[in-house]
Amino acid sequence: MRLFSFLSLLASLICEPLAFADEGSVDKVYHPYVLPNEREVEWRFASRQNDDGNLLTQRLAFGKAVSEHVMLEFYLVGARDEYDDFDLASYEVEARWMLTEQGQYWADWGALFEIEKAHHRDLWEATSGILIEKEFGQTSLTTNFLLAYTWGNDRDSETESEIIPQFRLKYRYRWHPWLQPSVEIYTGEDFVGIGPAFMGIQRYQGQKQLKWELGFISGLNGDSKDHTLRFVLEYEF
Amino acid sequence: MSKVRRHELKNIMQKFMMLVLLTLSFNAIAIDEITITIRNHLFYPPEIDIPEHKKVKINFINQDDTPEEIDSFDLNREKVVFANSRSSIFVGPLEAGRYRYFGEYHPNTAIGFVNVVSTEEHQDAK
Repeated sequence: MRLFSFLSLLASLICEPLAFADEGSVDKVYHPYVLPNEREVEWRFASRQNDDGNLLTQRLAFGKAVSEHVMLEFYLVGARDEYDDFDLASYEVEARWMLTEQGQYWADWGALFEIEKAHHRDLWEATSGILIEKEFGQTSLTTNFLLAYTWGNDRDSETESEIIPQFRLKYRYRWHPWLQPSVEIYTGEDFVGIGPAFMGIQRYQGQKQLKWELGFISGLNGDSKDHTLRFVLEYEF
Repeated sequence: MSKVRRHELKNIMQKFMMLVLLTLSFNAIAIDEITITIRNHLFYPPEIDIPEHKKVKINFINQDDTPEEIDSFDLNREKVVFANSRSSIFVGPLEAGRYRYFGEYHPNTAIGFVNVVSTEEHQDAK
């Protein structure tokens, strides 16, 4: 009954913002957990193919837990432009805050704060939101409710909304540490996408571990073709 | 921001608050506690029994001068216990079975098991 109520509420939230979306809607579903002493380097890759062509985005990041519950991550974001040149597109700082202990409450809660500045342009984006994870036996449901606020003289007010709500969902089956299949859903401004994804963890000595994620998200927004291939490689040490 | 978008955002916020209240309403339940000591990179006791379908708080007291990280894929938990310090994890409700955990910094010695048993078996063991 509780699961039904929770899923009904989520379903209504998913259906609400069919008018969401921006180009970077498919990114990553964040988990609400932070480990003290954790440091990581991350490479994130997303290639979106739709009627307008191919958009390639890559992120390189370094992250460090600055307290028992807060992790900071610094990103350099590269993108391929309309002339097929791949170049630095923006910089980003991200804070992830673990609000509750894992398993203590009915669901686990976290918060996300990001600020991104476009390279050589007066264009800023601040994103904040809530990260929720709930275990159901060997499966986990992770949801992100985010609001992105964009401003600056270079913002195209005709095509870009000032405030963009985003919703991300991952339903994961913890099969083996090295292979955990899932279904992911992303919504943004004028975008709804769904598709399969996989993640895995290879542990090494101490806190050292390699995490990988691979997903293929298909847009359901009416375009004849809209697919995003996303890949994340994360080394924690 | 248009009226329509403001209305959409208001609706989302209302539903989100309902979700928060729903979550908080399930939390006022007493939780059993069990304590495990970490000494010389070993867990004492190395095995514990807990009842099935019940949430339990496991307190780890680390008496070593080095930190330990409790890790368990079976229990889906990771937690750092600093040197000469204590920390807790919450497990369950779980199905009956044997769940392994280990210390990431000393994986060859720091190994423990959580045995989830039926409520009757758990009462008998007491």
